[in-house]
Amino acid sequence: MTEDGLPALTVSQVSVSFGGVAALTDVNLVVWPGTVTGLIGPNGAGKTTLFNVISGLQEADRGTVHFFDTDMTGMKPYRRARLGLARTFQLLELFGTLTAGENVQVGLDSTVKWWQWGHFRQAFSRSRDPLPAGDAPAGSGGAGGSEAPAVSPGDRLLAEVGLAGKSEEQANAMPTGLARNVELARGLAIGPRLLLLDEPGSGLDEDESRALGALLVRLASNGMAVLLVEHDMSLVMGICDKIDVLDFGHVIATGTPEEIRSHPAVQAAYLGAGSTDDAHSRDVAP
Amino acid sequence: MTSFLQYTIFGVILGAGFAVAATGLVVTYTTSGVFNFAHGAVGMIAAFGYWELVANHHVPVVWALVIILAVGAPIAGALVERVLMRHLHGASAERPIMVTLGLLVILTGVATIVWTPSRQYELNPIVSGSFRLASINLQYQQVLTIGIAIVLVIGLRFLFSSTRTGVGLRAVVDDPSLLAMSGASPDAMSQYGWILGFIMAALAGVLLALTQEQTGISIVAMTLLVVNGYAAAIVGRLKNIPVTFIAAIVIGLAEDYIIYYLLPHLSQSLNSDITLALPMVFLFIALVMLPSVRLRAVGRLSTVRVPRMPNGKESLVGGAVFIGLAVVASLVLSGVMIKGTDLLNLGGEIMALGIVGLSLVLLTGYSGQVSLCQFSFMGIGAFLMGKIAGGGSLLGLLAAALICAALGALVALPTLRLRSLYFALATFAFADAVNQGFFQDSRVFGAGLNVGRIVLPGLSFGGNRAEFLLVSVVFVLLALLVLLIRRSLFGRRLVAMNDSPAAYATVGLNPAVTKVAAFAIAAAMAGVAGGLYATVNQTIGSSDFDFFSGIIFVLFVTVWSIRTVSGAFLAAVTYVVLTTYWSKGLGLVAGAGIILIGRAANGVIGIDRVSTLLPLPWVRRAARSGGGGAPANSGALPIGGEARVAG
Repeated sequence: MTEDGLPALTVSQVSVSFGGVAALTDVNLVVWPGTVTGLIGPNGAGKTTLFNVISGLQEADRGTVHFFDTDMTGMKPYRRARLGLARTFQLLELFGTLTAGENVQVGLDSTVKWWQWGHFRQAFSRSRDPLPAGDAPAGSGGAGGSEAPAVSPGDRLLAEVGLAGKSEEQANAMPTGLARNVELARGLAIGPRLLLLDEPGSGLDEDESRALGALLVRLASNGMAVLLVEHDMSLVMGICDKIDVLDFGHVIATGTPEEIRSHPAVQAAYLGAGSTDDAHSRDVAP
Repeated sequence: MTSFLQYTIFGVILGAGFAVAATGLVVTYTTSGVFNFAHGAVGMIAAFGYWELVANHHVPVVWALVIILAVGAPIAGALVERVLMRHLHGASAERPIMVTLGLLVILTGVATIVWTPSRQYELNPIVSGSFRLASINLQYQQVLTIGIAIVLVIGLRFLFSSTRTGVGLRAVVDDPSLLAMSGASPDAMSQYGWILGFIMAALAGVLLALTQEQTGISIVAMTLLVVNGYAAAIVGRLKNIPVTFIAAIVIGLAEDYIIYYLLPHLSQSLNSDITLALPMVFLFIALVMLPSVRLRAVGRLSTVRVPRMPNGKESLVGGAVFIGLAVVASLVLSGVMIKGTDLLNLGGEIMALGIVGLSLVLLTGYSGQVSLCQFSFMGIGAFLMGKIAGGGSLLGLLAAALICAALGALVALPTLRLRSLYFALATFAFADAVNQGFFQDSRVFGAGLNVGRIVLPGLSFGGNRAEFLLVSVVFVLLALLVLLIRRSLFGRRLVAMNDSPAAYATVGLNPAVTKVAAFAIAAAMAGVAGGLYATVNQTIGSSDFDFFSGIIFVLFVTVWSIRTVSGAFLAAVTYVVLTTYWSKGLGLVAGAGIILIGRAANGVIGIDRVSTLLPLPWVRRAARSGGGGAPANSGALPIGGEARVAG
C-alpha cells in the first residue's frame, strides 16, 4: 500500500489517566508529512504524556496511534523508531558519558545488527547519511560542498544543529542549550520521517532559536513531519503550519497560527476565562 | 491430617519471621530508595548479639532485647545513614548496591572474627513454655513471633498511610528538596527510615534465629535465612506492606511443605542442597514473576566523567609492555616461595581472576548491569575444564566459554526486563543457588577436582613459568578485546543503554538484545577464567568459588575502578594476595574499601581529590573552601579532565 496522501501521524481517541487523574481525554491529532505542527498548552496540559504515548514510552488506556498506514498502538518504542519516528525529551535524555559525536553515531548506526562486523569498524566511514545533500550548512564541508574536505555524517549533523567542532565533548559536560541540540542531532541521525520535539528551544538564545526554526522548516520542506512542543510562542507562531492546543488533557483548538492566536478557548486557557489582559496576551502572541 | 496442620502452623510461624524481615526491607526501601543487601547480615549480627548477651553473658532476655533493639540497632542504623548513605542520594543505581554489599561483607567478616563460623549456636527463647491446640504442641515463643509480625504490619501500614511522619518518610525518596520546603528535614526523615529498618532487621534476625531451635544458628545460614524475606519484599514490589506480609506467610508455608513432604523422598545429599538453595530459588521465582519495567524518561543526566579510553595503538603498546613485564616476572619469580606459596602460581591466579574482573568491566562498568554471579560462571568453567576430555584440554576451555555463555543468556533472558536493582538481585539469587545446589554437592568437586595443565601439539604448559605466561597472554588478549569492544559500536551501545534506556529505545535499539549479548559475553569470559584458574591450581574445590567471595571480588573491582582494565587487574592482585595471606581480613578490607570509595564512580584510579575519597564533613568543607568538592547530594564527582586515566 502506498503511503502517499496519508498523514505521518494519526492519534485517535487517545486517553490516559494516572490513578484518578485524567492526563489525556479522547485526544485526536494529525500530523502531515512536509509540515511543522505545533502542540501547545499550559504546563500540565498533557503534551509530554502525549509524546510518550506516541513514542511508546506510555501505554494509552484507550485509543490508537497510526504512523502512516501502520498501527503502532502497543508497539515497543524501538520498533516505532525503526519505522522512522524520532523524538527529543523535555528533560534531557542524553547518553551522558559518551561524547556528542558518539551520541549521534549511536543513532547513525542504529540499523547495524549486533552480530555484524560493522560493530568493529570505524563506523563513521560507513554510516548512511540521513540528511539530503543540499542541506549541508555553508562551511560545514557536507555533501553539498564539493571543494570542502570530506566530513563524516556525524560531524555534519552536529554542524547542522550548531555544534560544529563539539564532537569530542562529553555530552554531560555541555550546557543545556547545546545538549538539547545533541539530542536533536541524535534524533535526526536515525533518518526519521516523523520528528517529535519536546521543548527544543528551552535554553537557547534568540539567534539559536531562530536557527532552530530555520532548520525545522528546512527539514519539513524535505518531506519530514515535525511535531513541536514549545513554550517560545514566537518560534511556534513563526514556523508552524498548524497548531493544536491541549488543555487539561483535551484538544481545545486546532488551526493555523492566526486562527489559534485569536481563538477564544486558547485565550481562556492561557489567560483564564474572560481575561483580556493585554500584558499577558504576549504569552500567546509572537 | 494432624501432621498437615502442624506443618501449616509451623510454616505460618516461619513466614511470620520472614514477614518481619521483609517489611523491614520495604521500610528501608520506601524511606531511602535503597535496597539494603546487608539486611540479612544485620539480622545475623543481632541474633548472634542476642546469643552473646543471653547465653554467654547471662543477661536477662528483656535487657538483651532492649540493648539490641532499642540501643544497638537504632545507633547502627543512624550511623549507616549518616556515614554511608547520605552521600549516595541521586547516585547511579549500582553504587547503593555496592555500598550495602560492602556492609554485608563487613558484618559477616566481623562475625567470622568474633564467632566461630563452623559452630552451631543455640539460643534461649524469649518466652518459655508451651500449650496444646488441636493436639498440636505450640510454644509461646512461636505465638509471640506471629503476634509481633501482625502488630508490625498493621502499625507500619498505619504509620505510612495515616501519619504526617509516615508521609514524610515516603516523600523523602521522591523529592527531598520539596519535603524540606514543607518544613521537614529530609536528612532526619531518611535517618528515621534507616533506624526503623535496622530495628526490624534485628528483630527479624532474633525471631528467625529462635525458629532454628533444632539446628541452632551459624553465620552464613543465618544471613541467608533472612534472604527469604527478600522474595516476599519483591512480591510486594518493595512498597506494599500487606502484600509483602501475605507473600512471606506463603513462602514460609511453601518452605515447610517442601521440607516435610517433598525432601524425604529425595536422596540425603540432594535434600540438604535443596533446603539451602530454597531461599534463593524463591527469590529468583519472585523476580521472574515481576511485571516488566516500563522504560521511563527520568531526565536525570549521568554526571560521571568517564576515564579516557586508550586508542588502538595505546592499547597494543600497553599489552606488549604488560607481556614484557610478565616475562621478566616469570624469570625473576621462578621458584620463589613466600609462606609456602609459589609466586608464579599466585601470579597465574591473579591473571585468571583478572579475566573475571574484565568481564565485570564489560558488564557493569560499561553497560551498568550489576552481576553478582561471575564467580558462579567461573566455577562452572573450572568444573567443565576438569571434566571434559580428561582435564587440561583446550576443548574444556572452549566448552567453558560456550556453555557459560549459554547459561548467561538463560539467566539474563527472564530478568533483563527488570530494573538494575532487580537484575542484581537475580544474579545474587542465581549465585547462591548455584553455590548451594551445585558447588556444595559432594559429587561436583568432591574433596578436590584435579585438572591437568593445558597441552598443545609441541607445547607443554606443565611448568609454572609456562603456565603463568600462558594465562598472562590470555589476560592481555581479553583485555584488548574488552577495550576493542568499548571502542566499537557495540561498546557505545552498552554505554548508551546504561546512560539512558529510554533514549536508547527511541533511537531504534532493542535493550533486551544488547543486555543478553553483554551478559553472555561476560559469562563466557568468566567461564574461560575458571578454566584457566583450574589449570593454574590443578586442584579446585567449592570454596574457590564461594558465594561471598564472588561478592567480595566485585567490590574490589569497584574499589579500584570497574570502568577500566587496570581496575580489573589491581582488584585481582588485591583479592588473590589477601586470600592467600590474610583470608580473614578479605571481607573487611573489601567492605571498608567500598565504603570509603562509595562516592567515587571511577574508583581509586579515578580519584583526584581527597574529598572524594574521604566523605567526612570537615574534609568536604575544606575542599569546598578551596574551590573543590562535589555538591553535597548531587552524586556528581568532581573529577576533572586532568584526572582522566588510561583504561
